[in-house]
Amino acid sequence: MRAGLEVHQQLDVGKLFCSCPSELSEEVRGVFVRRLRPARGEETRVDAATEFQAARGLAYRYEVSPASCLVEMDEEPPHPLNPAALDVALTLALLLDARPVDEIEVMRKIVVDGSNTSGFQRTALVAVDGRLEVGGRSVSILSICLEEDAARKVKESATEVTYRLDRLGIPLVEIATGPEIGSGAQAREVAEELGALLRSTRRTRRGIGSIREDLNVSAEGGQRIEIKGVQELRKIQEYVEREVARQETLLAVRDELRRRSARAPASEVADVSERIRAPTTGPLSAPARRGGPVLALRLPGFAGLLAAPGRSEERLGRELADQARAAGLKGLLHSDELPGYGLDEATVASLRESLGLGRDDAFVLVADPQRSRAEEALRRVAARAAAALEGIPGETRDPLPDGRTRYSRPLPGRDRMYPETDIAPIAVTAEHLARLGEALPERPGALRERLARETRLAPEVVRQLVAGDHIAALEELVGKGHTPALVARLLIQDLPAVPREEGAAEFEPGVRVLG
Amino acid sequence: MSERADSDPWEELRALPMGERIELTDARGKRWIGTVVPRHEMSGERILPLKLASGYNVGVRVERGSRFRRLRAADAPAMRGPAPVAPTGSTVRDGPSVSLLTTGGTIASRIDYETGGVRPVRDESEILSFYPELRQGGRVRIVPVLDRLSEDIVPADWLRLAERVAAEFRDGARGVVIAHGTDTLSFTAAALGFLLADLPGPVVVVGAQRSPDRPSSDGPSNLAAAVRVARDGGFGEVVVVMHAGSSDERFAIHRASDVRKMHSSRRDAFESRNATPLGALDARGLHWDRAPRAAATGPARVDGPLDDRGGLLWSYPGLSPERAAAFAAGLRGVILAGTGLGHVGAAHLPWIREAIGRGSVVAMTTQCLAGYVDPFVYATGRELQRAGVLYLGDLMPETAYAKLLWALGHATDPRAVEALMLSDVAGEFRWRHPAEARP
Repeated sequence: MRAGLEVHQQLDVGKLFCSCPSELSEEVRGVFVRRLRPARGEETRVDAATEFQAARGLAYRYEVSPASCLVEMDEEPPHPLNPAALDVALTLALLLDARPVDEIEVMRKIVVDGSNTSGFQRTALVAVDGRLEVGGRSVSILSICLEEDAARKVKESATEVTYRLDRLGIPLVEIATGPEIGSGAQAREVAEELGALLRSTRRTRRGIGSIREDLNVSAEGGQRIEIKGVQELRKIQEYVEREVARQETLLAVRDELRRRSARAPASEVADVSERIRAPTTGPLSAPARRGGPVLALRLPGFAGLLAAPGRSEERLGRELADQARAAGLKGLLHSDELPGYGLDEATVASLRESLGLGRDDAFVLVADPQRSRAEEALRRVAARAAAALEGIPGETRDPLPDGRTRYSRPLPGRDRMYPETDIAPIAVTAEHLARLGEALPERPGALRERLARETRLAPEVVRQLVAGDHIAALEELVGKGHTPALVARLLIQDLPAVPREEGAAEFEPGVRVLG
Repeated sequence: MSERADSDPWEELRALPMGERIELTDARGKRWIGTVVPRHEMSGERILPLKLASGYNVGVRVERGSRFRRLRAADAPAMRGPAPVAPTGSTVRDGPSVSLLTTGGTIASRIDYETGGVRPVRDESEILSFYPELRQGGRVRIVPVLDRLSEDIVPADWLRLAERVAAEFRDGARGVVIAHGTDTLSFTAAALGFLLADLPGPVVVVGAQRSPDRPSSDGPSNLAAAVRVARDGGFGEVVVVMHAGSSDERFAIHRASDVRKMHSSRRDAFESRNATPLGALDARGLHWDRAPRAAATGPARVDGPLDDRGGLLWSYPGLSPERAAAFAAGLRGVILAGTGLGHVGAAHLPWIREAIGRGSVVAMTTQCLAGYVDPFVYATGRELQRAGVLYLGDLMPETAYAKLLWALGHATDPRAVEALMLSDVAGEFRWRHPAEARP
């Protein structure tokens, strides 16, 4: 397997293109509603991911925050790029032995899911070709970018998504590694080391969501899959390993489909509303009760490959259900999970008969009060089933709290970037780099060595303290006369065990209380 | 190709066509592979912008010792223009027809990658590629009239537009939409209000505050609203339709002589002054707060000409009477945007008396942009009025200026010009100011 990481770290230096503070707020000072549509970039194609989002035709509701102004509302042109944020990005470039570009050009990366009021995210490539030493191995750093964070999604319905503007425009440093990571454990180590390096600048934001990882994973013979927005570093290993397992399963499904000489399913849809009693439970029960038609799609040759006993979640059925959800449905039922959901054996048999299906053939059912939406869902399902014959479609997936992932959208291509003409290009001068080079922060390796020397703690304990962002607390408490071993145990073992609502998340500010 | 270590390939590189794929090794030995893209106007010396495979543009400094070679241009992207649109003719069949006159401006502009600014789109297929929705919902005839950002529009263009509008009505249009840059949109709208008589249908001036190459552009929704008002409004006057708020949900319908751009960048920059908007369009349909002028039976008539020997002068502390006098010299009329209730300093009285004595018209509005001017409250006002300054009630300075050029075109005698200035031509005077009107 091969994996690469993209680390996104929020900076605590004010927003990237306006003078708002880089803070979140629960206060809402007003709302407005917008729609977005795909726009063409300097190149003429419209990106697949862009079309996908635009096709949903959603309204976007935005909550105005004390930490937002007209720039976040897309009612005012961006201000010049925040120089403090640029200093952090260039400092990281120096720490990673990367090559800063001679002139930075801010780009517009088209994103029409509403998370940016403008319909694009402003982003700039700051440096390339760096490297990072982790555990005696060198990992290449492909790029260091500076970009604006997106608005925070607070609510979602079938027709409307609500975002809050406080997070929009907070500077993010994005560091991308090469695809050289060979295991889930190594991915976690690299993420930890990059996190420590970012924090060494002392200009990073803290707390949940302030650092997010995108994982690019491909199994042997598989496909690059992007798992976007992992917030818990300790889960990285699990996401990587489960993604590899998912790809291996889907490759096995492909091989079996080929062995059966299965063909891409016909897109023909059958209305079976009259044939069956509405499912009483599961994703179809509510829409069918509300009188929506139940539609079926035949999947010849797919029987037994949608779910397998015991490991049902990792087979093709879940991929198909994700497509139904992407079309706005709650999900689907497939023949490998039937009888069930209030559909008995006789019903399933008569359904099979009416659809003209044999033993090796499968089918899926969807229901929606809007027939067109149900049909769209089945079009997607058919396309996904056809892709299963080829292998694994490249896609972006959302991480779920249980360590699994879920289809989110097609992989974005390069078509979605064009120049941000409202911002002049920024020259990176030798003088500027020299000035930053004279004030480089202590690298994590040097920090660990110094702490080990000063505290006499074991290297592994020191590693955990640095990885866990406990250095400020450690230094403050040790400075007050507490023994390093006691403080380390408190920070690494005891506090993480305290349930979050009782103060773990609040701990770092709470150092003052303890001292 | 420049391969020698001490060579300087700058001139050769800057002459490369856009879209050329190259490998550029800079003086420090770093190899960049990318596509040549247009240089930003603000780029530094000897910076070559390249689009990398990742989609990012970066600027690479080219020095003596840099080398490059051309790569196969197989997948070089097309850099110019939106995708060509299949020629479909300018109209959609069926339903009543609305004419869309284009003049340039943000609503009909796209990014110019040479300069980094926006430039007007020039032909119908480009308009349709930005506004594919114009192909739906009824016939829209697209008529390019001008090709300018609105800061470049001059009074002669107002007359040209008025003539085009009248011609469209004569050709059977049910309504006319004019897509216009927002900077001087309210001048054009006000002027058309005076220039067009006996309108048999709506004339809707519309713009955009965000260019149509942005997914968030207000252009599509403003234009759709304008077309809807032009098609279904059934009234006979010139209005401006733009966002009523920050949301893409409600569009205000302003009387042309009431409206002003009150913000440099917001979508809801256009406001009616001293009055509420005439009405609004939202998901529930058209609503009227005040009755628009009824449609005439036509035919639409251009009530020209204009005489552009009029001027608009903003008064400010420190404006010397000599400067003001030089400004007024050679003009047949001056609109003063005075302070408060309509004042300029007493030091200006001599040149004002001189100008009026010469046969010019000097008329007063307020730079407060809301409220009436009133010569009777303060001594200065009384002095100015005695000197012959015409007080224009609640006309906004821009509206008064447009009206002045119209009035100068219609009369030679200054008293007659003054009488025209005080007559209600297009519903431009408001005789009561409701408390709910902004500010």
